[in-house]
Amino acid sequence: MANLKDIKRQISSVSNTQKTTRAMKLVSTAKLRRAEELAKRSRLYADKMNQVIAEIAGRIQCSKIGGIENRCFTEIENPKMVDIIFVTADKGLCGGFNIQTIKAVNKLLAEYKEKNVKVRLRGIGKKGIEFFKYNEVELFDSVSNLSSKPDKEKSDSFISTSIEDYKDGKIDAIHIVYNGYLNIITQQLHVNKVLPVDTEDYDCDKASSSMLEIEAQDEEHMLDSLVSRYVEYNMYYSLIDSVAAEHSARMQAMDTATNNAKEMVKDLNVAYNKARQAAITTELIEIISGVESMK
Amino acid sequence: MDTFKLEILTPNGEIYNDDVISVTLPGEEGEFGVLANHASLSTLLEAGVIDIENKDKSIESILINWGVVNIDEEKVIVLVEGAVAIRGDSESSIATALEDAKELISSIADTNPAIVAVTARIESAAQRLL
Repeated sequence: MANLKDIKRQISSVSNTQKTTRAMKLVSTAKLRRAEELAKRSRLYADKMNQVIAEIAGRIQCSKIGGIENRCFTEIENPKMVDIIFVTADKGLCGGFNIQTIKAVNKLLAEYKEKNVKVRLRGIGKKGIEFFKYNEVELFDSVSNLSSKPDKEKSDSFISTSIEDYKDGKIDAIHIVYNGYLNIITQQLHVNKVLPVDTEDYDCDKASSSMLEIEAQDEEHMLDSLVSRYVEYNMYYSLIDSVAAEHSARMQAMDTATNNAKEMVKDLNVAYNKARQAAITTELIEIISGVESMK
Repeated sequence: MDTFKLEILTPNGEIYNDDVISVTLPGEEGEFGVLANHASLSTLLEAGVIDIENKDKSIESILINWGVVNIDEEKVIVLVEGAVAIRGDSESSIATALEDAKELISSIADTNPAIVAVTARIESAAQRLL
């Protein structure tokens, strides 16, 4: 049986950890509230934006009206190079939050490898970057300190490289992988193909009833500018959503940790009491047997 | 009078969602009005003022800096980047809205000659409210 002093030390160490995890939980709860608010407000806009884009893309796909041929709206056969952008947290201690994203990225990488497609991996968030560096997976570029503090300008300049390359024909698809916020206890993994715009779900029969007319002589210009905004916004929204999810994941992880620590202190206290009792019993036996032997 | 659904959304949330009689939008090619049963249309909007004629025939103005509109037979969805509604119950709240609107305008590059016109438009919209 461990000696009393050791158990005592262990108890105090575990309860210190408990204090830390509880504090971290409280911090995350406070941060979550703000991030959640932002994500909720933006969600509506992101949804509508995607809806509008999907509708335009769908109609272009269905009727090919006006001979619009834009790379952004047509599925590219036999892609040669694709961009995968992942968003992870800058910090750990948030349960399976980061590893889930990393797993999804790995799966996507394997899929493309099978098809002999080159992948440019672009990373946001220290945890993911560290993981891929450690595993010697080549990153095209990476940026940290963006996922913890989403910033529209930085996010725009990061994604613009991909948009430009896509429009120039250097890459054939852009994926964004991130772990998003669903509600306070669940995160949802998103693997979004932002470009080319997904038109699979679009119902052509519905579209035939109404014609699409695109204002402006230069529809190319309109679509270009619209698509850029759409991708930029999607990137930014991924960051906002990811930060909300990160805080909720951390809050949960820290809550579990606090509970585990509490449980552990309880067990250790029992062990301590048993050890103490055992020590007392031993002492008593020694005294009694001492007295007995003197008789 | 026929009405249709108008939704105006910004990245920070929805600012308008109601049935309206008509809406005037600052398209890239010039201003255009939309009534119920308008043909499908998608176009970009530039900095300007959206005039909305509500069900009760009152007029409301919303200033925007960039946007895209998607019109179909039943509804009109306007996605904008930045927007300020020029409205208020008292003189002071209208003045605050006007200040916000001017700030939004000045944040857009001032090379655009349309900005002078837009500034005049928001002034007149505010005058109408007072």
